[in-house]
Formats: sequence, C-alpha cells, structure tokens
Amino acid sequence: MTPLLEVEDLVVEMRRHGVAFRAVDGVSFALERGGALAIVGESGCGKSLTLRAVMGLLPSGGRLSSGRVVVDGVALPVEARGRGRGHRQHRRMSIVFQDALSALSPVATVGNQIAEAPRHVLGLGRAESRERAIELLRLVGIPDPERRYHAYPHELSGGTRQRVMIAIALSSEPAILLCDEPTTALDVTIQTQILALLAELRRERGLSLVFVTHDLGVVSQVAENVAVMYTGRFVETGPTAEVLAAPRHPYTSGLLAAAPDVDRPEHEPVAIPGSLPDPLALPAGCRFHPRCRFATAECLTTDVRLQPVGPGRQSACLHSDVLAAAQAAVGHD
Amino acid sequence: MTEALIEVEGLSVTFRSEHGHALRAVDDVTLEIAEGEVVGLVGESGCGKTTLASCIAGRLAPSTGVVRFDGRELEVSRTVEDRRAIQMVFQDPYSSLNPRMTVRHVLSELLKVHRLVPRSGIEARCRELMALVGLPTSALDGLPSQFSGGQRQRIAIARALTVEPRVIIADEPVSALDVSVQATILKLFEDLRSRLGLTVVFISHNLAVVRHLSDRVAVMYLGRIVEQGDREAVFGDPRHPYTRALLAAAPRLHQVELVRAVVKGEPPSPIDIPTGCPFHPRCPRSEEICTRQRPALAQAGACPRHLAACHFRDETASRAEP
Amino acid sequence: MSTTTADTLGLDEPEREVAQRPSVGSRALHSPTFMAGATLTATIVALVLLAPVIGRYSPVSQDLLHTLAGPSGAHWLGTDELGRDIWSRLLYAGRTDLQVGVLAVLFPFSFGVFIGTVCGYFGGAIDTVVMRVVDIVLAFPFYVLIIALVFVVGVGTHGIYIAFALTDWVIYARTTRSATMVARSLDWVAAAEGGGLSRTRVLWRHILPNTITQAIVYAMSDIVLVILAVVTLGYLGLGIQPPAPDWGSMISDGQNFIQTNQWLAAVPGMAVVLTGIGLSLLGDGLADILRPE
Repeated sequence: MTPLLEVEDLVVEMRRHGVAFRAVDGVSFALERGGALAIVGESGCGKSLTLRAVMGLLPSGGRLSSGRVVVDGVALPVEARGRGRGHRQHRRMSIVFQDALSALSPVATVGNQIAEAPRHVLGLGRAESRERAIELLRLVGIPDPERRYHAYPHELSGGTRQRVMIAIALSSEPAILLCDEPTTALDVTIQTQILALLAELRRERGLSLVFVTHDLGVVSQVAENVAVMYTGRFVETGPTAEVLAAPRHPYTSGLLAAAPDVDRPEHEPVAIPGSLPDPLALPAGCRFHPRCRFATAECLTTDVRLQPVGPGRQSACLHSDVLAAAQAAVGHD
Repeated sequence: MTEALIEVEGLSVTFRSEHGHALRAVDDVTLEIAEGEVVGLVGESGCGKTTLASCIAGRLAPSTGVVRFDGRELEVSRTVEDRRAIQMVFQDPYSSLNPRMTVRHVLSELLKVHRLVPRSGIEARCRELMALVGLPTSALDGLPSQFSGGQRQRIAIARALTVEPRVIIADEPVSALDVSVQATILKLFEDLRSRLGLTVVFISHNLAVVRHLSDRVAVMYLGRIVEQGDREAVFGDPRHPYTRALLAAAPRLHQVELVRAVVKGEPPSPIDIPTGCPFHPRCPRSEEICTRQRPALAQAGACPRHLAACHFRDETASRAEP
Repeated sequence: MSTTTADTLGLDEPEREVAQRPSVGSRALHSPTFMAGATLTATIVALVLLAPVIGRYSPVSQDLLHTLAGPSGAHWLGTDELGRDIWSRLLYAGRTDLQVGVLAVLFPFSFGVFIGTVCGYFGGAIDTVVMRVVDIVLAFPFYVLIIALVFVVGVGTHGIYIAFALTDWVIYARTTRSATMVARSLDWVAAAEGGGLSRTRVLWRHILPNTITQAIVYAMSDIVLVILAVVTLGYLGLGIQPPAPDWGSMISDGQNFIQTNQWLAAVPGMAVVLTGIGLSLLGDGLADILRPE
C-alpha cells in the first residue's frame, strides 16, 4: 500500500550573514496511513524547517532547493519559495504550531478562525461553517463551545488556545496533521491532555501524524516511529520503543544519557561533549565525530548516510555495532 | 539544630487587577530553607513560585507575612548587604544580560561598587569567576550576542556569584536550554553547591530536574504549598493528588502507553479560586468535604517534615503505573 | 564513565567556543544603507565646509550686469536675479542651514532623552505631568507652533533655536520613555538592581545605552525636519534674514522666475532633497549598525 506521505531528499537552504547553508540536508521519510512519526532533535537541527518545507510554509530567506513531497501518490508542486498552497493535495495536510498566541489572529474570534477553512476551502455556507466550528470546538474538548465561539485568543488559557489551533487544523479535514512542538509551551498536566486528544483523533479519525519535538520523553507517548535529527539530517530512525531502549547512533544515546530521569534520581545526566557545530562550518566526514567517543579515523573522512541496522531501523553511524556491543556490555544503564 | 537561613512565614501577595479584583498570587506560604540546602520549588504556570521567589529576593514586597534571613526580619527596602546575600538567576538567557555590556564590564562593575577586591585584583577575580563557571577567559571581552543560551546562563550565574551571595534563587534556569546543555548547567549547580556551600532555591516545572538536584521539595498550586518535604518522601510517597498528577504526567523515556490524563481541566483563574480546597474541581480524589473545607498543610506520613494539604493525606498512592 | 573517556580523548568541554563578533567598523562598512548615507552626507558636509575655498565668489556680491545668467565657466550654476553666483550662495546657504539644523536638534535631543528616561523609569507624578505637557505640544500642528513661536520670539536663527527647543523635545521624550519602560521589565535590569547597584547607576549606565539608539536614529531624520522647517520659514520670510543666504529664501526668491529660469529655485531645492536623502539613509544605516546583534 502506498504510504500516505512520502518525503524524498528534502533540501532547504537558509542564509546567514549573506552566506547560504543547508539547514535541512537530504531528509527522507514515509508515513503510512494512520501512522505517526516523531522527529526529535535539539534547537537548530532543522526539524521545524522540515515540517514547514513539507507544508509549503518556508520563512523568508528559506529556499527549498530540491526534494519531493508526495501525498497519496501525487507529487506536490513545491515551488522553490514554497508557496504551493493552492494545490488540492496540500489541503490534505494541516499544521499545528507551538505558540498558539502568535499563531492565531488576535482580532478575530476563535470561532471565526475555525470556520474559515470550511467556508473558504471546503465551500460551506456561513451557517454550516459555524456549525462545523462549534462541532470542532466540542471535539477538541472545549467545554461550552457555543459560548467559546465568540472568545478572542487572548481571553483563553494556553491549553485551550492549543486546542483551538488543533480545531483549526482539523477544520479543513486533513488526512495528515503536522505538529511543530505543540506542547512545548504548555504545562505538563495540560500536555498530557493534548497528547491524549491527539491520540484520540488518530484512533477515531485515522489521522496520520508527524510530530516534531525536542523532548524525548514525549516521543514514546506520541508516535510509533521516531527519527533523530542532527545538523539537518536524520541520524537514526526506527520504531520508537526500540530506538529509545537500544539506540544505534551515539547522538541518540548521548541525548538519552543527558536527560534526567524522574524515576531514577541517581542517574547522573551526562552532557554530550563539545557543542553544536556552526552550520556554516560543519565538520568534515561524519558531522558528529568531534563529539563522539567512538570516532575513528574513518569517521573524519566518510560522509556517513543512513544505513539499515536492523528490521525497520537505520543509523548514520559507521560503528553502530560497536555502540550496540558497548550497551550490551554495560547491561541496562 | 541549625537555624534556618531563610524563613518565610505567612507570606501572601495580592495584586489588584484593573477592575478591582484581588488576585492572590501567593497565599499564606510558610517555608524554611537551611544553609547549604537545595530546595526545589515545583509547580506549573500561575502557581506563584516566581512571585514567591521575587519576595524572597527582595524584588517584590509581600502584602502580608515576613521573610527572615539569618534570623533577622528583612525590611521591604533592603540594605545593600542583604540584597547581595540573595541573588537570582533567571529563566530566559536571552533577556538576562545587558546586550550592550561586555562580561568584563558587568562583573568588574559589581566588584568595584561593592569593593569586594582591591582595584588591582579585579581582573584576576573576573578570570576566577569565568573559570568557576567553566568559561574561557576570552569570554570576558564578549557581548551577550556572541554567546549561546547555555553560555549566557553561565555568565548569569557568574554575575550572581560575583557579589558573594549566600543564597541563589534560580528561576527555571534550564527550561530554555537543550537537554545536553541543560545537563552541563545542572552539573555546574552541583559543583558550585559542593565547592562553595551555596544554598539554592531551584524553581522548575520539570520534575526530573528537581528530583535530581534537590534535597527538599515544595509543590505549589494556585499560590499555596500543597506538599513539601524531603525529596524522597515527596517523590517516593506523594500524599497530595496534585503531586501524583505531576509525577504521572512527567515525560518518561520508556513510557509503555499513553499517560492517562489524571487531572482534568485547567487551573482556574487566580481571581476566582474555588472554595474549600482550590484543587477540588480538577482532583480525581475529591469528595464533598473538599468543596467546603480547605485542608491545612499538615504532617502526612511518618516524617514530621513531610506535609501535605489534603484531607486524604494519610492515604498512600496506589502506584499502578509502570 | 563517558566523561573520563571524553577527557582521555581530549574532546572539548561542552561549549567553550565563543563566537566572534564583527567590529562596529566592519558592520558599518558592510551596511549599504549606512555607506550610502554616510558618503552622501559627508560629501555635502565637506562641500559646505569648503565653501570659502571652492565658492569662487562672495555669496552676497552682486553683479547687475550679469543677472540670470545660465551655467558657464565663470559661474558654474549661473547667477540669480541680482547677479550673485548661485554655486557660492548654495554652499554658504548650506553652511547656515546645516549648522542650524544640527544645533537646533541638540537641545531637544538631550533634554528629551533625559526627561523620557526619568519618566519611563520612575513613573509616578512626574511621568503624568510631563506626558500631559507632551500631549499638549503634540496637539498643535507642528508648523503652526513653530511659526507662532518665531513670531513671538523674533525672526532669525535664535528664534529658530528657541522655537525648536520648546517643541521638538517631545518625540525624544516619548520614544525614550517607551524604550525605558520596556527595558525596566527585563531580567537584566532586575539583575543589576538585585546586584546592589544604585538606581541612578542602573538608569544612566545600564539602561540608557540601550534606549538611546532609537533617539539617535530619530535625530538624523529630525535634522532633516529642522532643515525643512528652516527652509520653510525662510520661504515665508521668517527664517534666516537676507542678505545671508539660505536655501529657503533662495527657493522663495527663485519662485518668481519659475517659468523662465527654473534652476534658481530648482538648484537649492535639489540641495535640500539630497541632504534629506543623505541624512535619512545615514539614520537607517545607524539603526542597522547599532542593533546589538
């Protein structure tokens, strides 16, 4: 069965001080119908840009220099500046952003904002769109939706605003929901509610999900598959449970070791040595090698790409087996 | 029995909104912090932890209640020595440094104004401070725009340390940082605490971080402390449903299934705090008494230092979650 | 365990690299707006400063035998209705106008920034009073106020200085006040105050360097505004008095000959336009450079 969403070799260029660099450097992934993929990485790795490039919403200064986005077998006409929003297939995707307050228009009621897509994209009448908006408010768990229709974004709490954003995203009846750190700015108890809502939407509407986050702890609750991103590339992909239990790339295991564990206070968070490289001055060979304790001479010269390392798993590391052996030797960390 | 370094007693802060509504940001908080301790202050947005910290640091005057330092009651407008003794480190590394001042200028000005070292020793002291926070000497010449988030936090910590404080209040110091950088700053806090014997009030909404670093923990909700005690008592045997909810909701790497949203709804507006226990509308355990009677913060469990503000504080959690 | 391995491998400690920043000079050179503005303004300033050298005639000497002459070898821009050399008059007029422009802005800038900072930081009664005065001044149309004041105080340069001193400070006060209010709420100000520094020190040494940049940039376009006002006043006969030349009166005098000898009015008009462009570009360029990032 063809995957619902296929992204092939996406390359996005950005400019800094007038110099161009590849903020997203050859990213590929496929999303099955009803499936979910989490893209994880630290700030500046290109995960948000990837999502925006797929959606056709690159910021000014960004340029999609190559790559294909295929939805249900139909390639989207992604113009270099990413303005292909008119295409019918683009409407099968919707995006949810991190900061609802700046993503929502402050001068329109939330109801009107939700009703906009049904009215102008789906072509429903005014009364029908209103009804649809109220339904959506109810669907995303906002109590008293008829009254809330008339609220302005600043009158609502953070969690409610995020639900409104999800409602807007659903209003065009997409098959794919792209989420750019939707819960990062929310309190943790609200975050669980939003994640539960997303899970319910997936179950009941068969939505497919691409979820970008920097928080590894959230990933396991959200998506069955995960891709770890570093300096614009995926360095490891695979089923979430397996990748988190036994990572096959040193960056992934570095991220896991750096996070404190709420259940085990004795686990000492260990920082990854070195720091993120300047995108204008990337290391030669494997981009992670200056920070990697498994690095060998080969790593300095080989431009490592994703290789299969197991069923459904890939890693862009020449020594993923050494890493696996080291983990096995230590036992359960 | 060592006397507490900082005592907060009956502290309340009430703001008046423009419509005359009273907003209780902090409600009758009593807390003790011993010298050399790390106290974690946990809560979600709007719980009052930052307002409480501002009162302790002297940035804000409480509406009622007192803050005592070394046994002395602190006046609303503090002496310079008292201000030096309690320093704050803020959350946003991008607004916590003056964009137009070099690091050297920031540190040396403080050294000069407080006459902490003779003029000839200023440069050396600046270098020491840089070394203390793990930055190279060349950082002294830099402007904030040249530094990353983690480096800026180190500079902010160096600035706080310059005036030789006894207490550092860190308000979400790592929340804006990537996880690997966060690990380095946490390690820095640990180092400083063991090397300098600093007392730290560590504010965070991230339970994993708080559990890692703190000796004692206080959990806040809508301006009140709902549970406090030694770290292992609170984390290991939480006696307030809100604490349990926070623990359940904390992101975990090896979550087998989706976390049940234990707590429903959102925190109410602080202008309109529910009667009885303020948590009751959202509480999975609430009963009729909770709507009428506000529970006192009283001993829960074996240790006299473990307190919880819940009518059912004597019940332990049934920890069915993995 | 990993840490020791990292040490043996000699890997960097996390985050020891400090980014380099380009110096102010280098940023200046790389800003096209700044370079264009600076070049144009510097050229104009140089030319008017060199007036005694490159202006070949006295600006007031008349030559009634050669009135309204077109450009020639003897008179590069021709002569006006009294036979005065336009090129020389242009340069000397520029001296006057630029000088008045800069000086008339100096007091409003200084006073406005000072009072704005005080209001923004301390608030309270002084803020309320000053802001109401600002509102009153702003309620009047600018030129009406200027002309009325010049009328009252007396024509000529001193009248212009006083008129501007009384009215122009309000914009500086307002922008600086807003910038100060914003800065006051930032963490680094709290940190400075918490560090035991006196409020005076925090206000003048910490906050002001951050808030003054807006005022500086505005001052550039303000100089243009002043020059325009001087020109307008000159046009109305209320500005610099004859026979001292100024662009405004040159335009005004040239008006009578607009159909036959357009350049009499056009040339000083162009001078005003070019100066305005130069200063505006300079202001924009400064805004680019002075930003801390």
